[in-house]
Amino acid sequence: MKKSFLDFNRINIEKLFHYRFTILMIILSFLTFFLLSRLYYLQVLSFEHFDTLSESNRIKYIQVPPRRGIIYDRNNIVVADNSSLYSVEINLEIAKNIKKIINAIDNEINLTDEEKKNFYKKKLKYSHHNSIVLKSNLTQEEVAKILSIRYKYDGLDVTASLLRNYPYEEITNHVIGSVGYIDKVDLNKIDKKKYKNAKYIGKTGVEKYYENLLFGTPGYKHVEINAKGRQLRDLDKKNAIPGEDIHLTIDVNLQKFVYKKLKDYSGSSIVMNPKNGEILAMVSVPSVNPNNALWKNDQNTETTNFGKSPLFNRSLNGLYSPGSTIKPIIALSGLHNNIVDANDEFYAGPFFQLPDSSRRFRDWKPEGHGMVDMNKAIVQSCDVYFYMLANNLGIKKISSFFKNFSFGQLTGVDLPFESRGVLPSSDWKMKNIGNKWTNGDTVITGIGQGYFLTTPIQLAHAASIIANRGLIKTPKINKNIIYDKNENVIKKEEFLRNNISQENWDRITEAMFNVVNKKNGTAYWVTKNKSNKISGKTGTVQVYALSQDTDIREKDNIPDHLKDHSLYIGFAPKNDPEVVVATVIENIGSGSKYAAPISNQIINYYLDKIRKKY
Amino acid sequence: MINWNIRLTDNILLFSIIVLSSFGLILLYSATNQDLDIVYRQGARLIFCFCLMLLIGFTDINKVKSISPYIYIICITLLIITLFWGHDSKGAKRWIVLFGFSFQVSEVLKIIIPMCLAWFLSFSEDKDMDLKKLVICFLIILLPIFFVIKQPDLGTSLIIFLCGFISIFLGGIRKKHIFYLLGIFLTMIPLMWKFILLPYQKQRILTMIDPSADPLGSGYHIIQSKIAVGSGGFFGKGFLNGTQSQLEFLPERGTDFIFAVFAEEFGFFGVLILFLFYSLILARCIHITNKSKTYYSKILSGSITCIFLLLILTNISMAVGLLPVVGVTLPLVSLGGSSLLSIFIAFGIMFSINRRN
Repeated sequence: MKKSFLDFNRINIEKLFHYRFTILMIILSFLTFFLLSRLYYLQVLSFEHFDTLSESNRIKYIQVPPRRGIIYDRNNIVVADNSSLYSVEINLEIAKNIKKIINAIDNEINLTDEEKKNFYKKKLKYSHHNSIVLKSNLTQEEVAKILSIRYKYDGLDVTASLLRNYPYEEITNHVIGSVGYIDKVDLNKIDKKKYKNAKYIGKTGVEKYYENLLFGTPGYKHVEINAKGRQLRDLDKKNAIPGEDIHLTIDVNLQKFVYKKLKDYSGSSIVMNPKNGEILAMVSVPSVNPNNALWKNDQNTETTNFGKSPLFNRSLNGLYSPGSTIKPIIALSGLHNNIVDANDEFYAGPFFQLPDSSRRFRDWKPEGHGMVDMNKAIVQSCDVYFYMLANNLGIKKISSFFKNFSFGQLTGVDLPFESRGVLPSSDWKMKNIGNKWTNGDTVITGIGQGYFLTTPIQLAHAASIIANRGLIKTPKINKNIIYDKNENVIKKEEFLRNNISQENWDRITEAMFNVVNKKNGTAYWVTKNKSNKISGKTGTVQVYALSQDTDIREKDNIPDHLKDHSLYIGFAPKNDPEVVVATVIENIGSGSKYAAPISNQIINYYLDKIRKKY
Repeated sequence: MINWNIRLTDNILLFSIIVLSSFGLILLYSATNQDLDIVYRQGARLIFCFCLMLLIGFTDINKVKSISPYIYIICITLLIITLFWGHDSKGAKRWIVLFGFSFQVSEVLKIIIPMCLAWFLSFSEDKDMDLKKLVICFLIILLPIFFVIKQPDLGTSLIIFLCGFISIFLGGIRKKHIFYLLGIFLTMIPLMWKFILLPYQKQRILTMIDPSADPLGSGYHIIQSKIAVGSGGFFGKGFLNGTQSQLEFLPERGTDFIFAVFAEEFGFFGVLILFLFYSLILARCIHITNKSKTYYSKILSGSITCIFLLLILTNISMAVGLLPVVGVTLPLVSLGGSSLLSIFIAFGIMFSINRRN
């Protein structure tokens, strides 16, 4: 009885076991089926999706930046090229412990504290780069040392990159410009796809203006990488197309000469061929060596701050009152408008006064020039004559006439960031100063003072228009570029060629010739070699308006930065000008003392030593 | 000569085990980037475990039964040793070194606990499960789990618990008690989330729900594994050609994610073949269970059958992103001695039971 109960119970329990076992197996089979359908979904239905993901995991697209074009001067002398530079970089995306990597590198090649500090600074500043340079310009020995530890650290790499090299250093700095790291400002302007993996971009000068030509077309390669980002093999590649080489109109030997003459001052000098607008030399001083700026970590901090702004390109951006250099154009305007006859003589005393005004406009010569005609007024740079002439012309005629010489406008030179300067007019004053134009404003405009502001390139351009007798050649720096004259230029040229008589052109060029070649001329005594028949005009620009009663001569003891700017425009030879020079030297003294002799030496050097070779 | 086959009995089971474990070695060669050293060592472990399996297979099942509680006690001791002198790995003490081999005790618990439970339940095989019996069963399960949680290794604890629960379920736990337990478990979930789970464990669970929230951190494993499985397609990329595994995008290739390596290189077709072999093993196990004579054998073989399938499903679910990464190996295939040991002990027992049948 008991046993049968037991058996009965036992059979029940065994039944329960089999029941439960079956349930479990059914549940688990159901889960298995579910899992298999999941696998079917992943592997068969979603195969393409995951295949793409897997491919993009292992295949990396690497853009290969092109070699930058080389820049030559007009005689095929290299003025900007590329050299190899080895640098140690850390890839922030892959590197696990940056500090550890830096310490390891430090052990091998001894980094300075500054290099380490700069690395962290750059890490913040260039956070959009994957790789940050820790140290550049490595020696072969350093490269070998770092390569020996590279395998231990993911993200540590030695790269060979092309570095821009400027063999003429500070001599050509402002005109050729330089390249620099692509920063956040550049990023907004460029095609990011094209510049991927490129480090440098033209920042100033020719490097910037012709960036698109110089840069070239990037190539690419697809490489297989592993999970650590190490490249295993190339899958396919397309080579980059190097940037185009550029041949400049600059003559490096002339540039060198001009720089040598100017390097102790602040200022600019531009030498042009008026026949075709080619810029033969363009110097802005003080200057810096662009090669240093590149491997120093931050270019424009320390070097800039020594007061004279060596990074400032005075040739295109320096704004100076033209002073007496524009007197020949005022004279031409007077002749053209029939306000004055070249032979009319006027009495020029020590000063000029407007009717119903007590203000005295002084002449630079305290005792005055006596009786002067136009020729004498230009030769001796008589201020009073031009005060009167300007007053008689009125500002409207002056500014509409000066427009034809591109004052207050861009000359159109193929360089970046050109400044417009100011060609004053009553509208301009109303808009920018907020006051009405006065007759006094007109009077000082007559000697190129007051609101009148020009750049050295504008002065050179205006001088070459005079030398060409109205023919306008847009200044250019790229030898192979041919400008189409735009409507505006054609209009100006037609005006200058058709409405101004050859006789009038003769009168003012003759007067400019006399400035250098006649005993009373402002540039006569300072020009030793007169064999090249130089014509020119000096200018002395007051930086500091002295009070009405002070004698202008008593200014020897004023501080440097208030001293006069010294200006000069000139061209030679007289009858068929081949070279034009415009020079501005800041805060130094009169035009005849500094700018004129330097410019005329440049002209003689060009015509005697350089021109002959062509 | 011919007789030992008959005595050990199940040829199909033996054949499938040999095929799968040898294939596991071949797959390991691919998963470790052709590191023969690791493959040789795993091969040695395999041979050792295989011999142990045969040894157990030829042992009388009653002998196995009688030493079950001692093995259980040894395991508890080893767990305590692990807690104090264990090896650190990723912040958890899970390993001890025994006779020069590192050994993960928690892996073996997956089979030892059902053994002990079957032993305990067989004493009163003619009575249904009252509360007293149930409490003792739970003590048997929870005592070792306590030490495993301490390691800390929550994933393995859960798996061990499930293994034990399968035995209790088969041993006839009352329906009423199941519902009570379920109720307790459900109320425990929020409490566990708050007080027991460590931040990284919570992270794993959250990652499983949305791996893309942290694709380079904790979601990386799941994302890369899914890519590996999915990109395998129907026929796979071919042996040694899986880019996800060969280029090391896939983590933990030898152990947790060996299925992803397999699925990438052999595709859905390979997966079906793999399931076929597992099905063969399972079919034989079910057969042995149904044929087994004693209550002890029934409970133990039934548990082993279910646990075996449970481990397969858990591992593959991890690889396809259906479960959080809980550190369950793929039976017979994954790298690692401890899991191999527990699986081969289990099959040894199956053979022993079968011999008795």
